[in-house]
Amino acid sequence: MQLYSPLSTTPKRKLFRAPALGKIDGMRIGVLENGKLNAEEMLNEVAALFVQRHGCTVRSLASKSNASAPAPANTLVKVAQEVDFLITGLGD
Amino acid sequence: MTIASPRIHEVPDDLLAAIDYCYDQGWTDGLPVVPPVVDRVKAMLAADSRPPDTVIARHPATGLDLSLHAAAVNAVMAGCLPDYFPVLVAAFEAMDKPEFNFHGSTASTGGSAPLLIVSGPYADEIGMNADVNLFGPGNRANATIGRAVRLILRNVFQMLPGISDKSTQGNPGKYSFCIAERARGNPWPLLCEAQGYPKGASSVTVYAGGGFCNVENHGGNTPEQILGSVADAMANYGCITLGQAVVILAPEHMQIVAGAGWTREQAQAFLFSQAKRPVEGMKGVGKYRDREYDTQHGAGAHALAERDFMHRGLTPDDILITMGGGDAGGHSCFIPSWSRGRGSIKQHGAIRIPK
Repeated sequence: MQLYSPLSTTPKRKLFRAPALGKIDGMRIGVLENGKLNAEEMLNEVAALFVQRHGCTVRSLASKSNASAPAPANTLVKVAQEVDFLITGLGD
Repeated sequence: MTIASPRIHEVPDDLLAAIDYCYDQGWTDGLPVVPPVVDRVKAMLAADSRPPDTVIARHPATGLDLSLHAAAVNAVMAGCLPDYFPVLVAAFEAMDKPEFNFHGSTASTGGSAPLLIVSGPYADEIGMNADVNLFGPGNRANATIGRAVRLILRNVFQMLPGISDKSTQGNPGKYSFCIAERARGNPWPLLCEAQGYPKGASSVTVYAGGGFCNVENHGGNTPEQILGSVADAMANYGCITLGQAVVILAPEHMQIVAGAGWTREQAQAFLFSQAKRPVEGMKGVGKYRDREYDTQHGAGAHALAERDFMHRGLTPDDILITMGGGDAGGHSCFIPSWSRGRGSIKQHGAIRIPK
């Protein structure tokens, strides 16, 4: 008996991690919040720890209008030009 | 992106062993599936004239594609007949619209399931149930089309419980959540007509449903009484959000509403005006946050529809109302949206009927 596989036949995408930063001290931080309850508050708390402990500066706060959809490409392109790393995460 | 040829698995000529093989591969929703043998898949594919590698939906986060072929394999596994396939295809073409956001609605802790409402003559042609026990078991088309949706989400898009499907509790509709709109005795234009499809065409509406709420009212005999109880269900503190709503009126309730001359638009307007809670009450249960209006709905959407009150949805158009169920009984239902705002907007698509 021959059975067809029910899985997608799309080849797996090759995903890569961004290279690690050489240092954190003095870096510029962006915050990407997703509009969920407490997201901005939680992420700002995290950013504040980087400021306090590593002398980072918070340069940019970006928001997503839809928490469960990928961030728009133009948002990421804009933020990438302004910061060295981005903090994001869920709220609720 | 190039699509590879579908993989074939060789298994012993033993039906029960083949069912067990499907379990072993992790291809099922927990219930036994029909083994997707080659001949049945080909018969399913004959219900759509396009090439089998035609992509009908793409996962926005993973980039995984749903081809007609993969849809047909899962339709066979769910127990669909080939005549059902056009409904399944139309449903995924509708869900593929970005506004539906099927990644979010199927990955979220909210635990929603795509509700399919089939409208128009094709529902009768394939023997769908729009009548007694509307959301219950017993009808092959309703049960297996809805099940095929779940199997595709699982197998093709890899929305796996506990891994990529993070539903806190889920809901029973995640096994199957598919109904037909009742045309018999329906005093209002069918959804497919209201959606602007040509006469004789059929459509499927998809909606990320967060569960099922029975609305019992055997004593009301005016539109205000019937719809007032529906509105209360829509706006209880557990359910109320700014999201959309689906209301399926029982025939008894519809007779009262439409019998008094009310149109669908009047009923929508009434429900919107009544399905509300005071902002202070929302604050009291911890569910009101001023900023949510701004971030979820963009500039200009902040204003409350009514001062000091939060209504369900943003406008009356956010409430889909139609009729379904058996002749007897004062039991309608309200189906809350997964989305608390604009995270998922109901969509619809035409059903391509094979010539």
